[in-house]
Amino acid sequence: MQEPINLKSAERKAFQTNVADGLWDVFIGCFLLELAFAPFLSKFMGDFWSSFIFLPFFGLVYLAIYLVRKNVVAPRIGTFKYGKPRQKKLMVFTIIMVVLNLVIFLLGLIAYFIFDKFSNGFLMGALLGILIMVGFSAAAYFLEYPRLYLYGSLIMLAPLLGEWLYTYHGASHHGYPIVFGPIAGFMILIGLITFARLLKNHPEIEIPEGE
Amino acid sequence: MTGQHPLADIDPIIHASARLMILTYLYVVESADYVFIMNMTGLTWGNLATHLNKLEEAGYIEILKTFKGKKPHTSLRMTETGRTAFQTYKKTMQQVLGDLQD
Repeated sequence: MQEPINLKSAERKAFQTNVADGLWDVFIGCFLLELAFAPFLSKFMGDFWSSFIFLPFFGLVYLAIYLVRKNVVAPRIGTFKYGKPRQKKLMVFTIIMVVLNLVIFLLGLIAYFIFDKFSNGFLMGALLGILIMVGFSAAAYFLEYPRLYLYGSLIMLAPLLGEWLYTYHGASHHGYPIVFGPIAGFMILIGLITFARLLKNHPEIEIPEGE
Repeated sequence: MTGQHPLADIDPIIHASARLMILTYLYVVESADYVFIMNMTGLTWGNLATHLNKLEEAGYIEILKTFKGKKPHTSLRMTETGRTAFQTYKKTMQQVLGDLQD
């Protein structure tokens, strides 16, 4: 055998097949597209509807990813059910993400009703960036998905950079389209390259006759 | 075979590198399908089938053959007997290797 036997690394290797297809990169990238494009639509549709209109789009992307994973990825790399320690770890991750989302939601409400009167965009951008980084770091750690550290860092800096472009260079919509558009494109591109590599390296396995 | 040299206690079913690899992956997950174990271990279809049959005969794994749509699907799961045997093997090997002096 070429590698030493290590149960932890074996489990990690098995678990990491979950993100080996790059499709989650595409999905998260599509989420960011909303931040890039919704500001343009808000002029015509208002803040609520310009965001709400993306829900069917996310639904379609999720459905497409589900079908591709089921019909294209699974026959190539197989499927497995998590062991108990991993299930516990994912439960902790779910709780962290629920709490974090509640915090973000509450801060959003505070910002909308009170905070905005005596604050500025930089403070809100920094706060949002830090919370996003916490979320992405937690996801990177619990999901064994190191690329999320990079994505989290880029997304953390994006609101601040956008605000800077808006304040000092007159970029429209707090600079969101300029900063989130390329990040979304980068993530989707990474995802698609990863997916293409998976297809190349893992051809569909022919099941022998009689099996 | 207790009382003899610890090497004599090593389970010959597990002590083959291919079967050890298979059991290592099945030990850390709840269940996996045939393609997944094939990918993880790098074994060929036929080779994997031979080793899985031996492990099933020993009662260490369960093989469940079903259909997903029109395609056959083989699911693999380690039994409690298999888990105990794997843990015992690990302990024995650690003891044997620990006892080996330079």
